[in-house]
Amino acid sequence: MEQFLQHVINAQILGGTYALLGVGLTLIFGIMRVVNFTHGELYTFGAYMLFMLVMPLGMNFFVGLVLAIVLGVILGALIEITLLRPIRGADIDTTMLVMIGAWIAMQNLEQLTWSGVAKSVSAPFPSDPLVIGSVSVGWDRVFVFGTAIFLIVGAHLLIHRTQLGKAMRATFQDRETAALMGVKINRIYTATFALGSGLAAAAGALLAPVFVVYPTMGDMAALKSFAIVILGGLGNFWGAALGGFILAFVEEFGAGYLSSGYRDAMGFVLIIIILIFRPTGIFAQKERIG
Amino acid sequence: MPISAVERPVLEIHDVECKYGGVSAVRGLSIEVKAGELVSLIGTNGAGKTTTLKCISGLVRAVHGRIIFNGKDITKAAPGDILAEGIAHCPEGRRVFPYMTVEENLQMGSYLRTDKERVQSDLERLFDRFPILKERRRQAAGTLSGGEQQMLAISRALMSRPKLVMFDEPSLGLAPNIIERTFEIIQEIREEGMTVLMVEQNAYAALALCDRAYVLESGEVVLQGSGTKLLEDPTVREAYLGG
Repeated sequence: MEQFLQHVINAQILGGTYALLGVGLTLIFGIMRVVNFTHGELYTFGAYMLFMLVMPLGMNFFVGLVLAIVLGVILGALIEITLLRPIRGADIDTTMLVMIGAWIAMQNLEQLTWSGVAKSVSAPFPSDPLVIGSVSVGWDRVFVFGTAIFLIVGAHLLIHRTQLGKAMRATFQDRETAALMGVKINRIYTATFALGSGLAAAAGALLAPVFVVYPTMGDMAALKSFAIVILGGLGNFWGAALGGFILAFVEEFGAGYLSSGYRDAMGFVLIIIILIFRPTGIFAQKERIG
Repeated sequence: MPISAVERPVLEIHDVECKYGGVSAVRGLSIEVKAGELVSLIGTNGAGKTTTLKCISGLVRAVHGRIIFNGKDITKAAPGDILAEGIAHCPEGRRVFPYMTVEENLQMGSYLRTDKERVQSDLERLFDRFPILKERRRQAAGTLSGGEQQMLAISRALMSRPKLVMFDEPSLGLAPNIIERTFEIIQEIREEGMTVLMVEQNAYAALALCDRAYVLESGEVVLQGSGTKLLEDPTVREAYLGG
């Protein structure tokens, strides 16, 4: 029972970051239909930015975290404006090739800048874990979970309650009609890509103090993001958020009770099963954003 | 003729050419709409009616010619700026935002407006006019019936407080009793003083409803005149009214 509860706690924490990654990608891949291979690099970028701001520059951890996310948003906007805007309307092959190129270039730049040696970030949390009954969980992990939930709820409010969010949904439901309503379509594309990228950077920055930071850390994150988006149904916000938690549970329990060597494989087995039986994802269409 | 029909037309289209995929969909087109008028464009499929409306609202760029609205050249303006000038476009096939609620769809209609209180009172007025929309305000627009979607699309266009509304095929794909209701609504709107430019396949209804009409063929105006005159024109009768 104790072991079971510990797995549940672990899965929640992992699930929070998976959900962030998934929600970010469902905006970009699910509704913008950009097969975004840079998603994992934004995750890596967020982690490295937090490392740079906190370690060499000595900035306060929490300020550094906010700045790392903001920098992720800015990098996302730049990618959209420089790489995607010029090829808007091009076929999916062109977009995919450009994004694969961007992925490789970014990863190599990271390697060049920070070398392949893993970096660690120290966070100002008490070293004694939080103990609830018979389970214990590190404060850094509690913080990751809380912040991830906060950001996901924030993103949802942004999309559903604000003028910008309404314009986003309108644009991806019917671009031409949104333009007729006076929406500036290019700006919405940039804002959406930037938001999705910011969420990926947030996930990377949040996990940086829990794990270590290295140039290829984003590859598995990107693969899993795609898995989560497919699991939740393309463009389905809560589907992506819940999909992140489901993937984390499957991984955690698979690793705990079957074999830890197959941790990463569990999720992909799940995806294959879902694609066979529910190719549109496991959640209803009505929560779709676009 | 409505009394407000004054000297200078509110909308003037001079010798416009529009291309669609490299081919001229509209060429040498000149049309004018006076304040308070209801003008219809009729013609067969591919005559360039929809392209003309898209060209006016800025979705398709004119490669030649000029479009003047209220004395202002809007030929090269972006769709949002043209809407801000006062031209709303109610597109073919209704095109409501399917996963947004009825209320959100209406809010998209007033996207550019900054007078929030008047937006709210306009919304309430539309809800009074179409109680079914009020009843379904929290429902996703994609779940409405065709007729309800048409009411929503018309209301959404009106939410921008336009000076001129363009309707593209308002009767398309609707049941006969709903078509009748749709034309009634358009009639009501123009009686309230709105200027209307309408594209319609149903030539009889389009001519019966309008002050003046233009007949388009292969992207050019081949005939024009008052609705009553065109209804009696033998070539129009043969080609568009089934003899």
